[in-house]
Amino acid sequence: MRSEEPLLSLENVEVHFENQGGFLDLFDDAEIVRAVDGVSLDIYEEDVVALVGESGCGKTTLGKTAIGLQEPTGGSVKFRGTDVWEARRGNADIPFSEIRNSLQIIHQDPGSSLNPNRRVKSILQVPLEQTHPEMSTNQMLERIYSLLEHVGMTPATDYAERYPHQLSGGEKQRVALSRALLMNPDMILADEAISALDVSLRVEMMDLMLDLQEQFSTSFLFISHDLSNARYFTEHGDGRIGGMYLGELVEVGPPEQVTQNPRHPYTEVLRWATPNLNLDEQSKDMPMRKIDIPDPVDPPSGCRFHTRCPEAREACKQETPQPQTIENVDIDHWASCFREYDNHEYWQSQPLQD
Amino acid sequence: MSTDYDDTSTDDDVEMTVTSLDAHDPIMQIHDARVTYDMDRGESRVLDDVHLELEREEIIGVVGESGSGKSMLASAMLDSVPDPGQLAGQIRYNPEDRDQIDLLSLSKEELRQVRWEDISMVFQGAMSSFNPVLSVKAHFKETLETHDHNVKEGMERARELLSDLYLQPDRVLNSYPHELSGGMRQRALLALSVVLEPDVLVMDEPTAALDLLMQRSILMLMEELQESYDLTMLFITHDLPLVASLADRMAIMYAFQLVEIGPTRALLDKAAHPYTRALLNSTPNLDAPLDEMQSIEGASPDPVNVPDGCSYHPRCPFAEEKCIESEPEYFLPETDHGVACFNWREAKERMSLNHLQARDDSGEQVRDTDDERGGEN
Repeated sequence: MRSEEPLLSLENVEVHFENQGGFLDLFDDAEIVRAVDGVSLDIYEEDVVALVGESGCGKTTLGKTAIGLQEPTGGSVKFRGTDVWEARRGNADIPFSEIRNSLQIIHQDPGSSLNPNRRVKSILQVPLEQTHPEMSTNQMLERIYSLLEHVGMTPATDYAERYPHQLSGGEKQRVALSRALLMNPDMILADEAISALDVSLRVEMMDLMLDLQEQFSTSFLFISHDLSNARYFTEHGDGRIGGMYLGELVEVGPPEQVTQNPRHPYTEVLRWATPNLNLDEQSKDMPMRKIDIPDPVDPPSGCRFHTRCPEAREACKQETPQPQTIENVDIDHWASCFREYDNHEYWQSQPLQD
Repeated sequence: MSTDYDDTSTDDDVEMTVTSLDAHDPIMQIHDARVTYDMDRGESRVLDDVHLELEREEIIGVVGESGSGKSMLASAMLDSVPDPGQLAGQIRYNPEDRDQIDLLSLSKEELRQVRWEDISMVFQGAMSSFNPVLSVKAHFKETLETHDHNVKEGMERARELLSDLYLQPDRVLNSYPHELSGGMRQRALLALSVVLEPDVLVMDEPTAALDLLMQRSILMLMEELQESYDLTMLFITHDLPLVASLADRMAIMYAFQLVEIGPTRALLDKAAHPYTRALLNSTPNLDAPLDEMQSIEGASPDPVNVPDGCSYHPRCPFAEEKCIESEPEYFLPETDHGVACFNWREAKERMSLNHLQARDDSGEQVRDTDDERGGEN
């Protein structure tokens, strides 16, 4: 069950990048890319949260901000109540190194996240030497072998001697996972960690991460563009799915609710985009007015989805919808859409047409 | 959905000849296509006697995991197997208004004319298909000029194609490839590949590396393109659920061979090969119960060292002596559905398909097909 106190607390997080023009654009104003805007999210101990959205929606930036790799330009990220960036500047009770070790990452492409010139053993030993200088070599090896066994790479002594090119894609990702686990992290950011694997290996990798969630009491922030994978992962991990669009969270809720009864029109789009083996369930019509995502430099006014939303009305251009809790659901499920408001001028305003 | 396959063949499981799966009006015929490479370790066979006929104006999806030989099939169809590979067999193309063309007997120049103009191709990764120093417009112009087409008319068609693909023609034509997003680039490439009005479009992972939403949008557009230009499409991918929404027929590739082929619905709901069934069950589906997802044990074989008999036997739960001794021909669960497996009946009975276990209102799982008579394996 979820702990009372959040492990990680994102409050009104904002990440804006300044898109500096080249020499020739010297006199133009710098463009601001609004990668993440006003996101609040709590992640608890042994929690699982999946962020789902299309390329360029800011999910990776949000993930990196959550684990302290990216400084937010606004709002705060708190780890067990301590502001991560204050800690980094040395203004907090908890040393930053402790926070840094507690929040780990697995990247999308395991091929490029492992040093090709090092054996698995040394890939895993180097971070240990950095963080645990007091450990003897034998203790380190013992730890490395036991972790490799945990992620299903047996015989561990054999795998430890291999180079990354001697491993399959799935095995490389297991090494990346065991490297993240070395630090006994409280949370792991899995950024599209299964997307590069063959379809038939994805379930296996997700099962492994879920096993580790129990064994090591780790939380996961799972980033994916695939709603069915997000559902599998969060359902088994007793977690939540968050739909993200142009830097904002638009709907958060339990996996069954979000996938079977999406409330935000964008979540409906994500559902449409997810292939369904049951051909009768697969709807043919695109629930979207435009295919391409708008430029995050100049996001649409009001509800950012209004330029593509099939339900959009005049009111959506004027005002930004706030998160509304979905009635009749016992767990927290909310969506930012005027259609969840009982009385709103949305209902009286004219549908948008292109 | 109530076709009883048991009535269509006798208990003896008579092996049917593969020709009964052939197209009525084939636009392409691939017979016994084989690609081999001589390696120090021995002969590497990366395409193994593949037999496939493309029906005019159909969309066929070919599904296989990495290293199953699916890209080699695409290359073989255009006689463009990378050196030093040897392509043997027959690849024939039947244009509507001309005589049959035997692709493997054409001269270099004749082959150049057939490619793009009659049989076109889209590869994975549009960035590497475009020349980074040429504008998109220059690509269209060059293609039209090289194939002696009227450039003015061709550019008109290009504009039309681009707007059909939800792109702004002027903006895209005047851009350089790197100025477009991945999804826009891939759509521009699609327009470029059909600007000469080919009959056949061969696509090798055309949407990989894009997010699902863009993939699905492009698939929807392909369907529209197929209808308005009467295209025949062959779509190669590792993603079975993705192509299922598009394809009329599907073929499953395992270890350089086609192990099952049939209409999409039959392949999804009445899959007969143990590998196809395992593949279906390893894919999370939005509406299927989640607790029975299973990955496939073991790994696909090395092309130099493909197992004797049925190449799937080391991973197959139904393998027996005869699977090791001899290679199965196609059996026909239905007249248009072929499967290269001796034990397909047993596979259908004993491996239930996860995605068919729909839920009724009370939340209990119900089994809704004739396949699910047996219990769990």
